[in-house]
Amino acid sequence: MSSPSLMRDAFIDYIYEAAQKNRNLIFLSADFGAKALDRFRQDLPGQFIHAGISEQNMVDVGAGLAIAGKQVVLYAMAPFIVPRCYEQIKAVLCAMNLPIALVGVGAGLGYDHATLTHFTPEDIAATKALNHMEVWSPADSPTALAIAHLVAEQPALRYVRLERQPMPAIYPEVTRDDLNRGYNHLCQGRDICIVACGYLVHKALKVQRMLAAEGLSVGVVDVYGIKPLSADLAGLLGGYGAVVTVEEQLLEGGFGSGILESMAEAGKLRPFKRLGLRNGFDVSNGDRDVLHAKYGIDTPDIAAAARSMLQTVG
Amino acid sequence: MGFQSKKSNLSDLVQRSQWMRRTLFEMVVKHGAGCLPSCLSMVEVLISLYYGGVANVVAGEPRHAKRDRILISKGHAAMAQYPILADYGFFPKAELERFSEPGGLLGIYADFRVPGIEGISGSLGHGIGMGAGICLAARADGQDHRSFVVVGDGECYEGSIWESAMFAAHHRLENLVVVVDRNQLCILGRTEELLSLGSLEDKWRSFGWDVASVDGHSYKALLGAFDRVGHTDGKPYVIISNSVKGKGISFMEGNAEWHNKIPNEQQIARAREDLSVNCISV
Repeated sequence: MSSPSLMRDAFIDYIYEAAQKNRNLIFLSADFGAKALDRFRQDLPGQFIHAGISEQNMVDVGAGLAIAGKQVVLYAMAPFIVPRCYEQIKAVLCAMNLPIALVGVGAGLGYDHATLTHFTPEDIAATKALNHMEVWSPADSPTALAIAHLVAEQPALRYVRLERQPMPAIYPEVTRDDLNRGYNHLCQGRDICIVACGYLVHKALKVQRMLAAEGLSVGVVDVYGIKPLSADLAGLLGGYGAVVTVEEQLLEGGFGSGILESMAEAGKLRPFKRLGLRNGFDVSNGDRDVLHAKYGIDTPDIAAAARSMLQTVG
Repeated sequence: MGFQSKKSNLSDLVQRSQWMRRTLFEMVVKHGAGCLPSCLSMVEVLISLYYGGVANVVAGEPRHAKRDRILISKGHAAMAQYPILADYGFFPKAELERFSEPGGLLGIYADFRVPGIEGISGSLGHGIGMGAGICLAARADGQDHRSFVVVGDGECYEGSIWESAMFAAHHRLENLVVVVDRNQLCILGRTEELLSLGSLEDKWRSFGWDVASVDGHSYKALLGAFDRVGHTDGKPYVIISNSVKGKGISFMEGNAEWHNKIPNEQQIARAREDLSVNCISV
C-alpha cells in the first residue's frame, strides 16, 4: 500500500494537465487552495480565477462562463460549495443543466475539529436530490484521479466530494470502466456485506479483516458513483445474507437510504442496517475517530452491527 | 459593425413604447398571468437596448456569435422581451398568443430555451454574476461583445448582487453594463419604507463602478447614458433607471398591490383607455 496522499492534489494535478491542452478549461476557487493548485495558478493564470470568499457569485460566474462555452471547475470546501450555494446550483446550474464540476473538499465530517459549520452531514442527500446532478465520492487518490479524467474529458454537471485528509490508496489504478460500473466489490463474502463510500470505505475494510479473523465471510463494496447509482449493485448485494451501510451523513435521504431504495425496488431486499448520524446529533471536540465513536459509526460499531445482524439472520 | 439592429429615430422609439405596453397588457390579461407593472417600468430601457442602437442584436439570428448578450435578471419581468424577440424574428409572433399556455414556447418566467433569452432567470441575484462570466469568456476569446443585465431595485437586496459587483469591478469588466430598474417598489410596498436601499448610486460607486442615474422613461436621458458604454475607463457601468412601476396604466402606477394582480373587466377597460394615449413623449 502506497503512502497516504491527498485526493485534491491527485484531482488538480490532472486538471492542470488537461487545462494545458484545453485552454477553454477554467478553474475557479473560493479562496481554497491545494499544493497542486499553486502550479496551476502560476502556469495558467488566464485559466484560474480567484472568486474571493464569495461562493454564490462563483457559481453564477461559472454559469456565465459555461453558457459562453467554457469548461468550468468550481472548487471550495464542501460546506461552502453545496449548502451555501444550493440555490445558485439549483436555480441556475441544474435549471440549465450546465456542464460544470463542483468540487468540495472535506465532505461529511472531514473538518472534524471545526464541527457544525464545516460538517456536511447532508451533502449526499442534498446533491442527489438535484435535477441532472451526478454525485461522485472517491475513497482514494487513484479514484479521485479517474474522476478528474472524467471531469476533463466528459463535461457534465457533477458534484465531486473529496476527503480532506491524506488517504492510503486502495487501488493501484482506477479505469473508466471502473467508474462506469459505479462501485467496486472490494472483498467478496457470503454472510454480510458492508457498503460505504469515501473515508469510511477504509474503516469498512478494517472491519472486514477483524470479522474474517473471527471466521465470518464478509464482503465490502466501495460505492464511488452515488448518482447515478449502479443498477447492478442491488443484485450483487441481494446475494448476501445481510447488508450494512455506513456513512457520515444523517440517515434521512443519505447514502444508505439510496442503497436500500435500490434493493427494495429491484426486489432484492435483504436484512438491512444503516449506520450514520441520527437526527438531533450533537458534537464534541475531537478527531474523526472520536466523532465516529460518538455517532456509532466507528470500526467496533460497524463490527458489532454486523455480528448482531448475522445472529438475527442465522 | 455590419449589425442589423433595428435602430429607430426618437419618435419611432416613443411609438414603440406604446406598442410594447399595449402588447404586454393584452398578453397578461388574455392569459391572466404575468407581472405586468414590473415590465412596464423598464419598457424604455428594453426599447433603447433593442431599437435605440445600443445593443448589437441581429434580426433572425438569436445565436449570432458577436451579438451583445442581454439578460433580464429580474426574471419576473423577462417576459417583457417576448414582443421584441418576436419582432426580431427569433420565433413566430403567433407564440405571443400562446403565452403561458401548455405547449406554448413562452412561459411567465423567461426560459433559456426561448431563442433570444441568454440565461434562466426568475430567482433573483444571479444575472450580474452570469453576465460577468460571459464577459470573462469573451475577454479570454478576444471577443468584444457586451453583456447588458437588467436588475430590479428590490433585487439589490440580494447579497449575491454585491458579491458580483465587487468581482466585476476587480476584473475591470468594462463590457458589463447593468441597468437597475429603480421603480421604488417591491411586492409589499416601497423599498425605502420597508428596508431602505439608500443611495444606490453611492453604493455602486463605492464598489468601483461607473454610475449614471437617469429618468428611466426618457429616451434622451437613457440613450445619453448608454452613450457612455465602453468609455468608462475599465470600470463596469451601471445605469440607475429611475422609473415608475406600472408606468402607463394610471391605477397601477406606483401601486405595489398590482405586482402580480390581474385586472377585472372594468379595470381592463380603464387600462385600455389609458394605453390608447402614449404615456411617453419625445
